[in-house]
Amino acid sequence: MTENLPKTEIADRLNLIESMIAEGRRKQESWGWTFVLWGVAYYIAFFWSWLGSSNYAWPVTMIAASVLTMLIIRKRRGRNPATTMGRAIGSIWAAMGISMFVVLFAMGYSSRISNAHAMIAAFTGMVGMANAACSMILRWKAQFVCALVWWAAAIAACYCGDAMLMPVFLVAVFLGQIVFGGGMMISESRQRSRSAAHA
Amino acid sequence: MPELPELNPVVHGKLRLAVLSLLIGVDEAEFTWLRSKTGSTDGNLGAQLMKLEEAGYVAVEKRFVDRKPQSLYRVTEAGREALAEYVRALRELLGAAIASGQ
Repeated sequence: MTENLPKTEIADRLNLIESMIAEGRRKQESWGWTFVLWGVAYYIAFFWSWLGSSNYAWPVTMIAASVLTMLIIRKRRGRNPATTMGRAIGSIWAAMGISMFVVLFAMGYSSRISNAHAMIAAFTGMVGMANAACSMILRWKAQFVCALVWWAAAIAACYCGDAMLMPVFLVAVFLGQIVFGGGMMISESRQRSRSAAHA
Repeated sequence: MPELPELNPVVHGKLRLAVLSLLIGVDEAEFTWLRSKTGSTDGNLGAQLMKLEEAGYVAVEKRFVDRKPQSLYRVTEAGREALAEYVRALRELLGAAIASGQ
């Protein structure tokens, strides 16, 4: 097996191994849709609870959005390979979702915290933390800017007046979810077109 | 003169080498993704994956998603070691080839 293996053939094989490993590690997943989906879910929950004065608006919308996200991810699984990076990012969002669900609902329903400013600050602070962690893993400055938007909203929620609280939250959702997710979807679609053109 | 290393014949096949290298970079991958990345046919890829599976270098999980069959492949620890050993052997051979001016 080792005889008559020319230098060029050996180099070719080493190049093949390197290029295939790089191909496998290249960013495969597209996550822009999740940001848009959750942005829309936050708006639905917000307007439902505001206009309908319902205590079920947030729990029902958040559970529905979680189920929908899981169903779409399950359907898409297999189309792209699972990577360690993808698992790390998914874990951060899942852990944030569980923390938010447990802490905010316990706070809300126990009536220990009836202050909407504290609730919004805790919510936006947690979303900022998840975005920041992902941006550090991915070394992606745009997502760190998104984290800054959420942290700014958390600070603003602590200091703004009652009348400004909801506009602060809605603007943070718009910039951090809809604009960021929409931009991500456009860039992912361009990347897919480029890959298809090179194939 | 030092003895030249033997290359593992299971890993040496070009398509098998490409598949093993692709799987090293991911946790698990579907058959159709491997086919698109290697540009091979269903039959050829299936046969090479079978050889890798028989050697214990890849593991497969077969399941149904929306009533469609799906085969997910992942590299095993033995597969990782075999590829690492193969790369080491290639490097040694390359060194020997350069030294002999081949």
